[in-house]
Amino acid sequence: MLTQYLTEETFLFADDVPGWREAIEIVAAPLADSGAIGRDYIDAMLESIAAPGGTYIDLGFGIALAHARPERGVVRTALSALRVRPDVLLNDEEAHPIALFFCLAAADAESHLAAMASLARLLSNEPARNALLAAHDSADALAVLKTGDDQ
Amino acid sequence: MTKFLAVCSTGLGSSFMVHMNIEQVLKELGIAGIDVDHADLGSVSPDSADAIFVGRDIAEAASGLGDVVVLDSIIDLNELKTKVAEAATRHGHSA
Repeated sequence: MLTQYLTEETFLFADDVPGWREAIEIVAAPLADSGAIGRDYIDAMLESIAAPGGTYIDLGFGIALAHARPERGVVRTALSALRVRPDVLLNDEEAHPIALFFCLAAADAESHLAAMASLARLLSNEPARNALLAAHDSADALAVLKTGDDQ
Repeated sequence: MTKFLAVCSTGLGSSFMVHMNIEQVLKELGIAGIDVDHADLGSVSPDSADAIFVGRDIAEAASGLGDVVVLDSIIDLNELKTKVAEAATRHGHSA
């Protein structure tokens, strides 16, 4: 399921990302480039994070799941990820250091739930989560995802 | 039937993850007879559920919704297991 969406092109690594807005732009870029989302979807995610309570996308353990509503420019369901070193502060808040951003664009409720379910299973699994956070390149990260898919 | 509700701002993302994880934890704890669902904050009222699980960021907005359980992380199964077991006990279910 996850390896269907996360590939060498969509699982990214970046050092010294200046801030959370830049991180969102970087993680969303491959989805915009492939035409899965329009510019409006990136703006919707940025607005959502900056809105009161918007840091709820911080799942814990330095992992954030950026997403917005399908009607804000999703063309087809897609997922991307970005590991940043060092962490960046979500909405510039000290309480929300983020090491791994996911960007989820769901074209409809059903595919959204399927992708969320796969991500929840993966990220709630402590060894898999730690292995994913420890990855230094997309080959490492994809190997972890593949293990999850096989289970 | 006792009802646990996972709630987030949109009802689309994190609440669904918490919903799934609560079901898994209840199974691991061997607790039956609790209905689990998820919803967005705007559609929830104090009589929507016996216990409401939220992330820390909407803890304040959710106060006043009755038995509100605040999670530091929505993907930490150990934390969730403890808090679900406590909530289940409060509502008459024992592990």
